[in-house]
Amino acid sequence: MTSIKLLIIDDEVEFAATLCQRLQLRGIDATDMHSGGEGLAILKEIAPEIVILDLKMPDMSGLDVLAEIKKHDPDIEVIMLTGHGSAGAGIEAMEKGAFDYIMKPVDLQELLAKINLAVDKRSKA
Amino acid sequence: MDAMTENRIRQEQIDSYGRLMAGFAHDMKNHLGIIRESNGLMADLVEMGGLAEDEKVQERLKKSIAAIERRVVLAADMFHSLSCFSHRSDTPYSSFQLNDLIREECVFLERFSRLKQIEVVLELGDGLHALYNDPSLLHHVLYRMYNKCLTQMESGHKLLIITEQEGAKSSILFRLQATPQIDVQQLFDAPFLATIQKLDGTLEGGASTKEYTEIRLLLSSLSLEGK
Repeated sequence: MTSIKLLIIDDEVEFAATLCQRLQLRGIDATDMHSGGEGLAILKEIAPEIVILDLKMPDMSGLDVLAEIKKHDPDIEVIMLTGHGSAGAGIEAMEKGAFDYIMKPVDLQELLAKINLAVDKRSKA
Repeated sequence: MDAMTENRIRQEQIDSYGRLMAGFAHDMKNHLGIIRESNGLMADLVEMGGLAEDEKVQERLKKSIAAIERRVVLAADMFHSLSCFSHRSDTPYSSFQLNDLIREECVFLERFSRLKQIEVVLELGDGLHALYNDPSLLHHVLYRMYNKCLTQMESGHKLLIITEQEGAKSSILFRLQATPQIDVQQLFDAPFLATIQKLDGTLEGGASTKEYTEIRLLLSSLSLEGK
C-alpha cells in the first residue's frame, strides 16, 4: 500500500496522531488534522485519495465535513469513524456519499482492508 | 402530584439516564481507541525491534501488549452493548430484533449469574420476526425475569434462554435446570404483571420435568412483511 495519500480528521489528537504513525509505518503517506476546519483547509495542499473522518467533532459534524470534501473532489473516498452504538450513523453517512464506516475503537486490520477496497474503487473509476 | 405527572417525570428521568449512559459509553470508546492505538504502535515497534533488542524483553512486551489488546476488545464490546442499550430509550416504540435486545442486555446480566455460579446459555432462534414494541420496557422485563429465575435456582446449574417464533408470536423461554415447578402468577408481583400487559405480552409457565422447569414470555411480532 505504498504512496497512498491519506488524511485523518479526528479531534482526539492522541488517537489521530498514533493512528497516523501506525499507517506511516505501513508505507501510507498519512497526515492527521484535529478539527473539521483544519482538515478542509489542508485538502488542496495534500490532495488525499482517502480521508478517515470522525463523525462527531466539536467544530463541525463529520457529515458536514463529508459534504464539503465531496464538493471539493467527489473522487476522494471517505471512511467514517463512529463511536455510536448502532450502525445507523455509519449507514446514514454512506447514504450521503461515504465509502464505508468503521466503529471505534478501530481494528487496524479492518481499517487497512477498507482502505484497500477504497483504493481499488478509485483505481477502477 | 397526580399520577400522570408522576409518570411523565419518571419517563423523563429514564430518558436522562439513557442519554447520560450513551454519552458515557461514547467517551469510553474514545479512551479505548487511544489505548488500542498506543498499544498497537508499541506492538509495531516491538515487531520492528525498535523497543527492545533483548529477545526475553521482547517476549514479555509482546505478552503484555496481547493482554492489553484482549481487554480493550472485551471492554469495547461491553461499551458497544451499553451504547445500544442506552439508545433504546430514545424512541419509546420502535421495531427491533428480539435477539439483538437479549444479546446486548445479557452482557450486563452475565455478572449476576456468574456471582451465583449459574451458567447462562443463549439459544437464540433464526428467522424471528421483528417486534414493534417498547424496547426499553422490554429490557426492564427481561432484567426482572432473569433475576427472578436466578433466585429460584441452585448454584452449579444452567439457565437456558431460548427464543423462537411461534406463529405470530415471538417467544422467550427461560429454562431453569433442576428447579421445581413455578407458579408465575405467584412469583411475580402485580405491577410486573401489569408491565407485561403493557407490552401486550403473555407470561406463562412452560413444561416442568425432573430436569427443568420453564417460564415463557410471548410477544406479538410484526407481520412477515414487516420482518
